[in-house]
Amino acid sequence: MTHSNIARIVVLVLLIAAPLVQPNAYWVHVFSLALIGVILAFSQQLLVGMAGIVSLGQGAFYGIGAYTAASLSIAYKLPFLLAILIGGLLAGASSLLLVPIVRLKGSSLAVATLGFAIIVHLVMMNEDWLTGGSIGLMDIPHPTLFGLPVGGETAFYYVCLAVAALVFLTFDRIAHSRFGRALTAMSQDEEAARASGVAISLYKSKCFLIAAIASGIAGGLYAYHSQYLNPNDFSFQKSIDILMMVIIGGIGSLPGAALGAAIVVLVPEVLRSSGEFRLILFGVMVIVLAGTGNRGLAGVITDLVKYAIARWWHKPAPTTAAARVS
Amino acid sequence: MTPLLDVSGLTRHFGGLVAVNDVALEIAPGSVHGLIGPNGAGKTTMLNMVSGHLSSSSGWIRFERELITKTPVDVRARLGIRRTFQNLKLFREMTVLENIMVGMHGQTQCEIWHALLRTPRQKAEEAAIAEQARKALDFVGLLHLAEMPAGSLPYGSQRLVEIARAIVASPKLLLLDEPAAGLNGAESKKMVGLIRAIRDSGVTILLVEHHMDVVMPACDTITVLNYGKRLANGTPAQIREHPEVIKAYLGGGVKRRPKADQPKAAEAAHAAS
Repeated sequence: MTHSNIARIVVLVLLIAAPLVQPNAYWVHVFSLALIGVILAFSQQLLVGMAGIVSLGQGAFYGIGAYTAASLSIAYKLPFLLAILIGGLLAGASSLLLVPIVRLKGSSLAVATLGFAIIVHLVMMNEDWLTGGSIGLMDIPHPTLFGLPVGGETAFYYVCLAVAALVFLTFDRIAHSRFGRALTAMSQDEEAARASGVAISLYKSKCFLIAAIASGIAGGLYAYHSQYLNPNDFSFQKSIDILMMVIIGGIGSLPGAALGAAIVVLVPEVLRSSGEFRLILFGVMVIVLAGTGNRGLAGVITDLVKYAIARWWHKPAPTTAAARVS
Repeated sequence: MTPLLDVSGLTRHFGGLVAVNDVALEIAPGSVHGLIGPNGAGKTTMLNMVSGHLSSSSGWIRFERELITKTPVDVRARLGIRRTFQNLKLFREMTVLENIMVGMHGQTQCEIWHALLRTPRQKAEEAAIAEQARKALDFVGLLHLAEMPAGSLPYGSQRLVEIARAIVASPKLLLLDEPAAGLNGAESKKMVGLIRAIRDSGVTILLVEHHMDVVMPACDTITVLNYGKRLANGTPAQIREHPEVIKAYLGGGVKRRPKADQPKAAEAAHAAS
């Protein structure tokens, strides 16, 4: 068994144990939110870490997934699993609206996704017949899974954990495939990737599609989790938060993205009494971690572990290729 | 014999500047065709139009009799036109082997769902392209560097990685954009051997190069460009004697030197320019 497999199992066991160690309903509720954040961070990592696309629109796909799942559940009493799945697919379908702009590069593309996020937010705010406008959607039914109610905080936590684990596994396999290799190549040199036969625009579109589906599914989970949707949950700020998760955690690493999401969701809860202090803290973290060559906390921790191993076991730290999606 | 690549009337404007002006080019299959000329003659522009990185203002390009003038770069790559770049374009943070495996992208099919399910077909395909990438690396003599990050290699080796990435998929036409730039004398000599070896493996080559000590021994035929126009076309021996070419390299008004000195003179002119 490889080191990374051992690490994965340890993390999974810890996550399974979390609601048992801290059974307080409020904290389990927050833990679920953190797992939903982890899924969002994975989706951003696929874009920014693998394909080198900075998206400022993941919050919009998240919102589309949430509103779709909530509406289907309220109006048509669709079962939980089906509702979040359709939410994910619709978010994916909406990403096809970005197809005409994927030819843009770098910051232009980021700004275009920002425009998309703002439009989606405006629709949520103003199309009362569809989204309930600024009042939002209320009375989202409790989720059930194969007849079993999973609306309880602990049960729902495990649902979120299962989905997050599935998304991790999916993205990890994508990273180690022909598709992932083409994305990584594209992020490092677009011209050379194209000259090797990679259809750049198609691959960028596919990347947006997959990331949007994951974000949409996270949105569906959020809808059932909070049972109330407000358009301001999906404002432009949400997209920034999602990007911040990846920058803090470390660009290019899925575990890093998960770590970043945990920090961005949990730290404000811990520091609840200190108000907007979190904004300063995250701002400082982003600036400081930018100095680590985008490898974020995951990179810092990896370096520290290597240093510790080298120091205590007197073994030279293994030199590996620069950190990439692992 | 039908040419593998047939270019006619190819023209490219950059604003008011005509970088390539009504150029015709025919490359016979199995040959090494050199494209030379003084700085700014339009060699790289020409190559970029053949690879598809630049669109042409007018004229047409035929590859294996098919018109490809408007075909996108990635489609041309899948048709069998591969290239290297004058300024190295490697995937620096990927390993050398991964770089070359990307070169197989157009020759592989497994879609995302194959990777998600780890189908036997996906595993077989990955193993096959890794094997082929190793062969290409061995061909350029860098197999021992397979697991190194490409960006950490010395300059000369990076050039070879780029060539391996371009030939791994057994292209029909290989476009080499100044492969000997920045190489020393011994390395240049090796490059000539490598170019001939690639040709002997059945790949037709279009070579843009400044170094006459690479162009002359490596090429079967040569086209000379000057100010975006085709000045001459022929075998290395013919080009060496061509009065217009000598004039272009040495400037007008200079008397013809004795024959033996001409290649050197051409080089000197290049070095000075």
